[in-house]
Amino acid sequence: MNRYGSLTARTAREAAEWSTGRVIRANLRAVVGRAYPRVIGLTREPSWVFFEILLPFLAVSAFVFVYRALEAPEEFIGFVVLGGAMTAFWLNVVWMMAAQFYWEKDQGNLELYFTAPMHLMSILAGMAIGGLVMTSSRALAVIGIGSVLYGVTYQIEQPLLLALVFLLTMIPLYGMGMLFASLFLLWGREAFHLAQLLQEPIYFLGGVNFPLGALRSFGPLIGVVMSTLPLGVGLDAMRQLAFRDMTGVLPVGVEMAILVAMGIVFIIGARLALGYLEHLARKEGRLTLRWQ
Amino acid sequence: MAVTDRAAPVRGLTLADAWRSFRTAIGLGWAIESNWSDPFLFAIYTVAKPLAAALILVVMVQVITQGQATEFLQFMIVGSALWNVVFGVMGGLVQSILEDRERYRMMKYVVVTPSSLFPFLLGRSLARVIVSFVAVALTLLIGVVFLGVELRPNLLYLVPATLIGVLGVIAIGVFMAGWCLQLRQEAWSYPEAIAGALYLVSGAIFPIDILPSVVHPLAYASPTTWWLEASRRGLLGHGSPGSIGQLSDGQVMLFLVISVAIAVPIALSLFAWFMHRARESGLLDMTTGS
Repeated sequence: MNRYGSLTARTAREAAEWSTGRVIRANLRAVVGRAYPRVIGLTREPSWVFFEILLPFLAVSAFVFVYRALEAPEEFIGFVVLGGAMTAFWLNVVWMMAAQFYWEKDQGNLELYFTAPMHLMSILAGMAIGGLVMTSSRALAVIGIGSVLYGVTYQIEQPLLLALVFLLTMIPLYGMGMLFASLFLLWGREAFHLAQLLQEPIYFLGGVNFPLGALRSFGPLIGVVMSTLPLGVGLDAMRQLAFRDMTGVLPVGVEMAILVAMGIVFIIGARLALGYLEHLARKEGRLTLRWQ
Repeated sequence: MAVTDRAAPVRGLTLADAWRSFRTAIGLGWAIESNWSDPFLFAIYTVAKPLAAALILVVMVQVITQGQATEFLQFMIVGSALWNVVFGVMGGLVQSILEDRERYRMMKYVVVTPSSLFPFLLGRSLARVIVSFVAVALTLLIGVVFLGVELRPNLLYLVPATLIGVLGVIAIGVFMAGWCLQLRQEAWSYPEAIAGALYLVSGAIFPIDILPSVVHPLAYASPTTWWLEASRRGLLGHGSPGSIGQLSDGQVMLFLVISVAIAVPIALSLFAWFMHRARESGLLDMTTGS
């Protein structure tokens, strides 16, 4: 290998002209590299596991006791446990996807991302894959502990379909996180407040602690949720597949189609927002300023 | 002449010094808390979170009872509204001390000034506490206007209950602030975890009787339990459903006073000890990267 890092290039210009294969390999390495700290963090930082299981579990427990106080049917306990597990993914999307570029800017990493020879979508994809793996362990723990402790029984007749719906939910959910990552960065200092704003209000709109159909009493709100919020649509479909007596807002098939459409829209939106962000980064240079 | 003889005598911290620190810290805390954001947007952020939290509970009750459990709804709305103060106080005190140490790296400079850290810390966290009281008022307002919550305030009971109760919550927050200064990792998560645990045992949104009996001693020992119960009586004119609701107003106030009278000196002593340990171990300028 010569001083240009190449076996064949004789000039810097030749070395800079990458083949398609090399571009793909570099981007795949970026995906793996960005996912790595999140996956390896599972074992390196056990205190994270404690808090990320404990906090959703405390919230789940509070809502379980509310239903117990109201003498609600037992399946509502299951709704809450499943909703609590899904909040782990939502929190991951908000704090470790949407707000991540803002933290990266504060730490000085963002400018390195812009100058590195890979696409920013690869960084976002790495963050999403790593976050998905990391959060899955937390969500499974919440479901496991919650189900055993509160005696939840599931009536899953189509486990593969349930797994497919879960995956279809994760794609738009993390796609939304990718889109928000760019937007949060553009909105600067509001990022922290926005992340806060995307918690309880989204738990309410997404029907995390009650069947989504209950939002029908709020008029057109249910339509807004079904067309914009993958957490709500996915959770409604998963509850229909996990609990026999659950009546969803729409049939599972229709909700799956909505999730597919959302996935496409959010990922294309993220790509466009990133392009605009990169344009701003080069034109104005303010995206490398801390605390702005 | 000995070197030490040349030093001018240092006077102790006066009340005026403490007041000046407190006042300055309030302005600083407000600027940081609002993050120099647009006031309109900041108002939306401030209001949306507690309202959504209350709406979740409202929908849960409506789904199960079809609007029949008005008394339970009132119990929940008041508990949910007041809990904003616990989050505000605990989050405010802990985040202030951690932000000043980790993010702005000002803690050591504040500590070496002639002023005391304590009034600074209280002032620095006051912005979040004020915001939390706004959230309480708004949640109650929504409850009254849209959800049929009937407030029958008894100010003679409510005002002392609030003052004593908030003192108890501040005591827990001060203890937490000192404790989090000792931690290497994840200190940021502790206020949420402790407030979440207290939320569960204090009867904020469901009667304590629903909890497993092993948790009952914890519930009865917490000042937040008695503060919530006393505030409900002061606001609604009646107590909670369940056994705690059978106690007289005087008994509830007595338990509130006793629990706060125990919590405050313990919290202050522990905070002083935590600060001493932080100075000795060099924790005041430690950054954990968390």
